[in-house]
Amino acid sequence: MLTITDLNAFYGQLHVLHGVSCEVLEGEVVVMLGPNGHGKSTLLKSVCGLVGRVEGSITYKGKEISGLSTEKLVNQGVIYISENRELFGEMTVMENLKLGAYSKYARKAEKKNLAKVFELFPVLAERKKQLASTMSGGEARMLAIARGLMSNADFMCIDEPSLGLQPNLRMEVFNIIKEINRQGKSILLVEQNIPQIADLADRIYVLEEGRITFDGDTEAAAQDEHLKEIFLGM
Amino acid sequence: MLLEYLDVFISGMTIGSVYALMAVGLTLVYGVSRAFNFAYGSFYSLGGYIAWVLMMLIGLRGGYFMVFALAIPILMVFGYFTEKAIVAPLRKRSDWEVKVMMITLGLALFMDNGYQVLFGPRMKSLPPIMDGAIEAGGIYISNQDLMIFILSITGILAFRWILNNTRIGMAVRAVAQNPDGAQIVGIPKDKIFAATFGISTVMVGAGGVLLAQKYFISPMGGWDILVKSWVITAFGGMGSIRGGLYAAFILGLLEAFVGYWFGLNWVLFALFAVLLTTLAIRPQGLMGKWG
Amino acid sequence: MSMNWKSMSAFIAVIYGIMAIMPLFVGDVDHLMHILIMCLIWAVVASCWDLIMGFAGIFSFGQVAFFVIGAYASAIFSIDFGINPFFAMLLAGTVAGGFGVLVGLPCLRLKGAYVALVTFAVHMILEPFLKSGMGRAIGTGGSMGILTIPPLELFGISFTADNKIAVFYAALVLAVVCSVIIMLVIRSFWGTAFLALKDSEDFAASLGVSGLRYKLAVFALTSFLTGLVGGFYGHYVGMLSTRMLGIDLFVTLMIMLVLGGIGQYPGVILGAIMTVGINENLSALGSYRPMILGAMVVVLVLLLPDGIIGLLRRFAFWKTSAGEKAVTGGVDNN
Repeated sequence: MLTITDLNAFYGQLHVLHGVSCEVLEGEVVVMLGPNGHGKSTLLKSVCGLVGRVEGSITYKGKEISGLSTEKLVNQGVIYISENRELFGEMTVMENLKLGAYSKYARKAEKKNLAKVFELFPVLAERKKQLASTMSGGEARMLAIARGLMSNADFMCIDEPSLGLQPNLRMEVFNIIKEINRQGKSILLVEQNIPQIADLADRIYVLEEGRITFDGDTEAAAQDEHLKEIFLGM
Repeated sequence: MLLEYLDVFISGMTIGSVYALMAVGLTLVYGVSRAFNFAYGSFYSLGGYIAWVLMMLIGLRGGYFMVFALAIPILMVFGYFTEKAIVAPLRKRSDWEVKVMMITLGLALFMDNGYQVLFGPRMKSLPPIMDGAIEAGGIYISNQDLMIFILSITGILAFRWILNNTRIGMAVRAVAQNPDGAQIVGIPKDKIFAATFGISTVMVGAGGVLLAQKYFISPMGGWDILVKSWVITAFGGMGSIRGGLYAAFILGLLEAFVGYWFGLNWVLFALFAVLLTTLAIRPQGLMGKWG
Repeated sequence: MSMNWKSMSAFIAVIYGIMAIMPLFVGDVDHLMHILIMCLIWAVVASCWDLIMGFAGIFSFGQVAFFVIGAYASAIFSIDFGINPFFAMLLAGTVAGGFGVLVGLPCLRLKGAYVALVTFAVHMILEPFLKSGMGRAIGTGGSMGILTIPPLELFGISFTADNKIAVFYAALVLAVVCSVIIMLVIRSFWGTAFLALKDSEDFAASLGVSGLRYKLAVFALTSFLTGLVGGFYGHYVGMLSTRMLGIDLFVTLMIMLVLGGIGQYPGVILGAIMTVGINENLSALGSYRPMILGAMVVVLVLLLPDGIIGLLRRFAFWKTSAGEKAVTGGVDNN
């Protein structure tokens, strides 16, 4: 579904990604692990047209998409869900969701998606009129994911969905992501070291210092000594 | 005596309503894109001159209804492409905020002197939107003032309705609150920036059409409006539309009463005093969110 | 990205050196001498603007206002109080500096656009003030302006419009002194402080740099120098009116800055000289002149992000990267 080949990304003078190649197949949840500040978020943002300078190839459903604007990508069904949520704080939950369906691609399915979202997140249905800025961290994370779903995307780039959440909320978010995946979305997800991620991932990549250093399924990851070292401290 | 005060009050409310329309336009652009438009006063004059050309030069029939029907799209397109041509290219630079102020100041000089070359330095006037007056208990309110008030308020309400109930309005608010978030959900930020610039041009241009009936149109007439709109905006709070509304009426009344008691020359000093006091006591203005 | 001490001094020395010998060639052409004098006067005003805006990062739009305040103050001191024009100029500089501090104070708490707007409001309010009854009361002459300002006299030389060579060298001394002061500021601890402030206020605070003090000081210094030169201008031309507060002069000053490059001192000196020259050639165009000035700003801001200095640097970069041993004209990136 998504194939990245030899991707380099830059922030100003800073060369963040060095020849990264990876892929996500249709219906997969692929997890990108790695320490903080080693380029995981940059990878997602590069895919979603949010990084100024990107070199290399990104194909989505067989078409080259690198260099396209975020707006165009959203219209092709690629959505980015931010780690710091980027919600519209002075707007209600409902308005946030509606804005999630701003693109043409999303508009035709807005009603259907809204129903789905409320089914998935009953708490949001109860709080349609609450201002986003007054929600708790966990609720805001749910809203961010829900807003992403409203875009009707087939491919979701989710940036550290568990960041700053308590363990029980983390599990809830992961379960929801699993459910979203089961309903047919392909997902590229970025996380730091979280043991629970194994249940969620179909395949795992590890990104260190802007380069892919591991590639394999969860079982291979569990047996890899180097991974244990860097993530579990064993 | 009391009746005279009432007259002054009515005049203040009339001017205040137009100021509100214009100040909201200025605060909108700043709130959404952090760009300050120094050519705002020249856009005000543009509205007046468009109306003058349509009514007096071409002899367009259909009165002010037709004037607005034609002027609004012209102003919108003008504002939209002005943003695209001279503001948008600067956004990528680090010192773009001051560069935008400089470039719009250059544009203002260009436009004002363009008016002078095209239309001459003499003032132009427009016919009143409506003749006659209504009388209630010894007070006369000219229909002209009443229409100006009604049209300005209608303009503001229409703007508010667009902002709250349409897709583009919601997108504008989204960009103002969180530009990155807006980009993520696929809102075309650049188009929204240009569109708000266009909308604000319509608002100040419409103000120009309305006030031209009372104060004439002149090539340099916009500077006064720029200063007043900005004082209102600072007083009400940059980026706060409601604050701008209140501030416009307060300062409209202040202008009317200061003009009545001390003479029109003092209006600018009074506004300046308000500005300094505001900044000294409450830099964010009545309801501003940004310092 | 500013130049180093050596190339800065060299740049300034070359420009003012060339200026200094100009009277040898055009000393008897009255009109050209006037243009040269105005080049020097505007070079100082524009340099001060570059110091406060380009270097200290304070978006002050009050530069012309301080110039006019200085000019009026010096004229009033010498006419109404009979003060020797030389001391009147110094006093006028002090008055302008005082206003600078007064305007600077509220600006300290304000950010970007607000500072520009407050200082511009001072500019806008100045004309009605000078014309008003209050203005007349302190001797501004109202709408008429001031018509008979005594010339500067020093060492028995009278610096009048009839003696332009003397005026020219006086202006040159003034310009050189101002440039040296500005360079000293840029190279001093102030300079470091401002660079830190521009990067991040928090970072600067952690170094113990108090933004407020330096910002206020730069307001005071630039408005003092600008006011002083304003006074010099008044004594030279002998009359003043509020026409100087028109937007076209403000925009002309802006062209000097944009042309020279904002924050690219001493590029702005070159910008000032070029702009005065261009402006002079435009005067034949009458009412089209301000239109063209306005259009120039638009075009220059879009096309010359770092002014001529930026252009030279890009050219130098291109030359070096083409493998040549480039002579960069003293421009380097440190």
